[in-house]
Amino acid sequence: MDRRKFILTGISLGAAASLGSGLAIWGWQHSLAPDSSNRDLVLSALLPALLYGALPEEATLAAAELDRTKIAISDFLPFLPLRQQQELNQLFNLLANRVTQLGLTGHVNTLADLSINQRLQLLNQWHDSYLALLQQAYHGLRELLYGAYYGQSEHWQALAYSAPRFR
Amino acid sequence: MQKSHHDASQFTQDQQFEADIVIIGSGAGGGIAAEQLSQAGFKVLLLEEGAYYTRDDFVMQERWAYPNLYQEGAARKTRDQAIGILQGRTVGGSTTVNWTTSIRTPQPTLDYWQHEFGLNFSGDNDLTPYFAQAEQRLNIHPWQVPPNANNAKLQQGCEALGWHSTVINRNVNGCANLGYCGMGCPINAKQSMLVSTIPAAMALGARLISRISVRQLHWQGDSITGLDAVPVDQHFQPRSDIRIRITAKHYIVAAGAIGSPALLLRSKVPNPSGRLGKHTYLHPTVICGALFDEAINGHSGAPQSIYSDQFVWPADRQQPGFKLEVPPLHPVLMATKLTGTGEQHAALMQQFNQLQVTIALLRDGFHPHSQGGTVQLDDAQQPVLDYPITDYLWQGMRQALLAMAELQFAAGAKQVLPIHHDAKLYNSWPEAKVAILQLSMQALKQTVVSAHVMGGCNMSASATKGVVDQNGRHHQLQNLSVFDGSILPTSLGANPQLTIYALVWRNCQQLISSLAQKA
Repeated sequence: MDRRKFILTGISLGAAASLGSGLAIWGWQHSLAPDSSNRDLVLSALLPALLYGALPEEATLAAAELDRTKIAISDFLPFLPLRQQQELNQLFNLLANRVTQLGLTGHVNTLADLSINQRLQLLNQWHDSYLALLQQAYHGLRELLYGAYYGQSEHWQALAYSAPRFR
Repeated sequence: MQKSHHDASQFTQDQQFEADIVIIGSGAGGGIAAEQLSQAGFKVLLLEEGAYYTRDDFVMQERWAYPNLYQEGAARKTRDQAIGILQGRTVGGSTTVNWTTSIRTPQPTLDYWQHEFGLNFSGDNDLTPYFAQAEQRLNIHPWQVPPNANNAKLQQGCEALGWHSTVINRNVNGCANLGYCGMGCPINAKQSMLVSTIPAAMALGARLISRISVRQLHWQGDSITGLDAVPVDQHFQPRSDIRIRITAKHYIVAAGAIGSPALLLRSKVPNPSGRLGKHTYLHPTVICGALFDEAINGHSGAPQSIYSDQFVWPADRQQPGFKLEVPPLHPVLMATKLTGTGEQHAALMQQFNQLQVTIALLRDGFHPHSQGGTVQLDDAQQPVLDYPITDYLWQGMRQALLAMAELQFAAGAKQVLPIHHDAKLYNSWPEAKVAILQLSMQALKQTVVSAHVMGGCNMSASATKGVVDQNGRHHQLQNLSVFDGSILPTSLGANPQLTIYALVWRNCQQLISSLAQKA
């Protein structure tokens, strides 16, 4: 079994276990190829949750910050090793389609249907998972998304941070 | 006259180059070698995977610096994602982006190498004159300016507890105390290879090719016969449309302690000791944040100016030692390392300027239960480091968290936050102590980082215990040297740049006399 397949099996196993539905291995066939609409869907759902408390309350301003962050993420991804790009693509493709099997019960089908709190709960469940692969997904997304948001000078107002002027 | 710099990404057809000496990698090892060998009259060709960026490009923004100046966008991780690795990938290598700390190799480290690897750096082989020459060449002196508040807290905590601390020597000339060393020095004050040895070598006729990735060394019998390289694309990924073939009389691999073993593994060079790509060390580092009432502004001022060796060589040599330092604090570095999500994370970020951060670098490689990691190749033949963290190291990390929390409270911290994903802000040293003793020390719960990659092509007196000899010459291939941090047989217990400068300086003198005898 190659590593990528193993990751997906791991995620589905973790989901199955956390749902209490016993062991079931789905035949994941999610593509390693980038799909920008899947990525956008996942980021649109997760960013407002991760950045809750950091984003401005005013909707237009918040939307502008989210757009800027999404652009920063897509600009950054090609610098990662191909191996990691493929893993992230796979995670985005999976999350865009099969979120209910990743640790949440109920009839919700997509990330966008979850409340902000439920989205944070989903991430925190991965963090607490006994499966390293779900923990990796948590940390990988967290670093990527926070790095992209706080890399933008437009988002530093709350930090009172600015680079010195010298030339 | 030949052009002195080529950007390989601009090549439109296959290329061939030849030189007396080709150097693969332009960091601490490659940079020193380029100048020494050019001065000795050799025709030097210096190859670098990163781009040739200079001070006007260094805009003091993490969003530009990390993707453009660091390996894997500064997001390099070990195979299980448990350790984040900061490593330069630009002309000048990590010296272009390091925090300028310059420390001679600790004597106990040299003693250990002699005992375990038969390496004798005393008498005629004494490194002292090479340290002195490198210090002079790179203007390495104790930092005379008072430390910024981030470093001052480390000093004050040590003083309050009666612990050792000392002022750091830095390789700077005309430093304006900006605090952005990690994003490339915008005023050429840092005496990195980028502004010192590399331009000097080029003035003596050395040629530089940037944005080139060396894929394979060809060898026959006991000699390297040539190498194959490709340009990298705008995201530094190796391309496959153009081939670059280079031949030389002598080959120096200086691609860093992940890149060098990876190249030699791809080239399937002889490896009778079995140690190629093995025993890679990281100074695995744990982090502890502290909130103070007063402003710390850890982004401003020389990033590292104080360290403490209180715990680096414990009396009980069975215990892992660790060195205490501080990192510079910038938004991306902090946001990605601070724990929590949502409001909790946002609240910490809003106290950014009140945050002091201490780091503890574990001295790995000195114990049977600390034998380092292994460089492997992925499907694309790119390196990935597997570094299992042993219980022995986890216990050392717990001791380090305890020491840092005690130190920060002693320096007047209001609250302390060990960077562990189950930890919280603690209000007193007794509270923190109880909590740290209960933290589950395991991968991905405990945040671990590294900015020092060492080993993987270790030197040894005997060919059975290493990849290269004491002079950095490959044990089996006569015209191959490895001149970078990968030759270190253990970690150092000190930041590595000055050790690499001195070792490579000495190795170059040995190489020059050996090539002169042959000629």
